[in-house]
Amino acid sequence: MKFIKRHISLIFPLVAILLGLEFFIVFDRTTDSYEKSLSSNYSIMVVANDEMSIDDFKELDNHILGVKELPKPKALDIIYNTKNKNLDIAIPNFYEIKLDNLLGIKALAKVKDNLLESKSIKRIETFRSTYKSQYELFTFIKFSFGTFIFFMSVIGFFLIVKQMEVWNFMHAQRMKVMEIFGASLFLRSKVLISMAVVDAIISSILTSSMFVSLQNMWISDTQMEILKEHVSDVFLFSDFFILLFASIVVVLIAVFLVVINVKAE
Amino acid sequence: MSNVITAKNLTLSYEEDGEVIKNATLTIKKGDFVFITGPSGSGKSTLLKSFYGNLQPKGGSLVIGGLDMIDIKKSKLQELRTHLGIVFQDYKLVNEWTVEKNVVLPLWISGYSEEVQSTQARRLLHHVKLSGKENKYPLELSGGEQQRVGVARALAKNPFLILADEPTGNLDEFSSNVIWDLMENACQQLDTTVVVVTHKIPMVFNIPYRHFTIDEKGSVYEVH
Ligand SMILES: Nc1ncnc2c1ncn2[C@@H]1O[C@H](COP(=O)(O)OP(=O)(O)OP(=O)(O)O)[C@@H](O)[C@H]1O
Ligand SMILES: [Mg+2]
Repeated sequence: MKFIKRHISLIFPLVAILLGLEFFIVFDRTTDSYEKSLSSNYSIMVVANDEMSIDDFKELDNHILGVKELPKPKALDIIYNTKNKNLDIAIPNFYEIKLDNLLGIKALAKVKDNLLESKSIKRIETFRSTYKSQYELFTFIKFSFGTFIFFMSVIGFFLIVKQMEVWNFMHAQRMKVMEIFGASLFLRSKVLISMAVVDAIISSILTSSMFVSLQNMWISDTQMEILKEHVSDVFLFSDFFILLFASIVVVLIAVFLVVINVKAE
Repeated sequence: MSNVITAKNLTLSYEEDGEVIKNATLTIKKGDFVFITGPSGSGKSTLLKSFYGNLQPKGGSLVIGGLDMIDIKKSKLQELRTHLGIVFQDYKLVNEWTVEKNVVLPLWISGYSEEVQSTQARRLLHHVKLSGKENKYPLELSGGEQQRVGVARALAKNPFLILADEPTGNLDEFSSNVIWDLMENACQQLDTTVVVVTHKIPMVFNIPYRHFTIDEKGSVYEVH
């Protein structure tokens, strides 16, 4: 009980920060593939007079990742093959263009302009309306999520600083006495360091197990397809070490702040 | 005999103006037993503070155990402090540690084995009549008992210099005599230099001693 009381006030804000961090990592990881799928679902249709290779397209705009030539409409083939064989009618070529990533609305318009600079391109079709709303919703969610995590971390950090002030008060007497008897800085802060590292380890384990249970219980029941698709991305074993490292850095900074603030009277 | 404390025109103060100790000149040799007396607020504790490097002199010079205390390096001061035995007027025990852990602090800092630590703790607590209280915490002891823990801690590592601020301030005559005996022994048998601040020099004292006094103005005189 005494142990829990002593540690909870540091573990709580630490877990808050770690949750924020892990949520951010997971969000980035799952939406990265979502972003990719959004951009690969999205394609631009180009109608060109001449035959164009992938390199021709890449020369026009460097966001272009791939080009697929679409079969010409059958009707055009028939016309070409039968009646107008001797007429010099150019049959246009149809291409579907893939982009390298999810572009903003402005960047997309720029791609379109770049493509139109080519003399051989006659028309460009985009699926602007669905793309735009999806993309804007996505950026909005990303922004609000980031803001939320940011404020959560700030609050967490303030709680840690508050707890450090309590520690400072609790440990100042002992550290002063030790200093007068000639203890080194390391010896003086040893107790604090070990307490803080224990708390960092506990916090990392707590946060990791929250995500593991999230992965195993909640997501399998959810309706959110995007999460279901990337369920294995929700928590990777290596995340534990990222969390552990982050929490140890945070607590060591905090301990250092306490120790240098204890002055000999 | 070598000098353990050499002060020349030593001036001490906490603020820019208002000197607490003025132009103190004194020499204390190895094996000396020294009493410092003076009215309350005259600067006795302040003088001791400068001896263990917790207050930088404002003027003059101060050499402790061969180390110039003016602008002394942190590491040097740390090293010096591990060889001092300090008794504080307000005890300065660590409340979250047991009596035993408090007593062996100087040994622990210097990295002595647990065995040496607990043997020494038992021996010293026996000397200060606190056997059986090893595992108590300071706040479970009376004021006088805490004071004796403070004295035991100061003696733990056989320091070359003991600086004791009112070590019997809270003790009855019997307990006071226990403390004086311990300090006399350290001085006689181990040639330890002892500087004791007190408002009452004991009636019965078995070894020769020197006596300095500080007046209200902060001047230091040797009385005898
Ligand atoms: N930390 C401090 N900051 C500022 N002034 C101090 C401080 N400590 C002591 N003083 C002042 O220095 C003067 C001497 O104090 P000191 O504690 O040395 O007296 P003392 O001789 O030990 O008195 P007592 O017999 O009551 O213990 C006093 O006027 C006191 O107000
Ligand atoms: Mg005093």
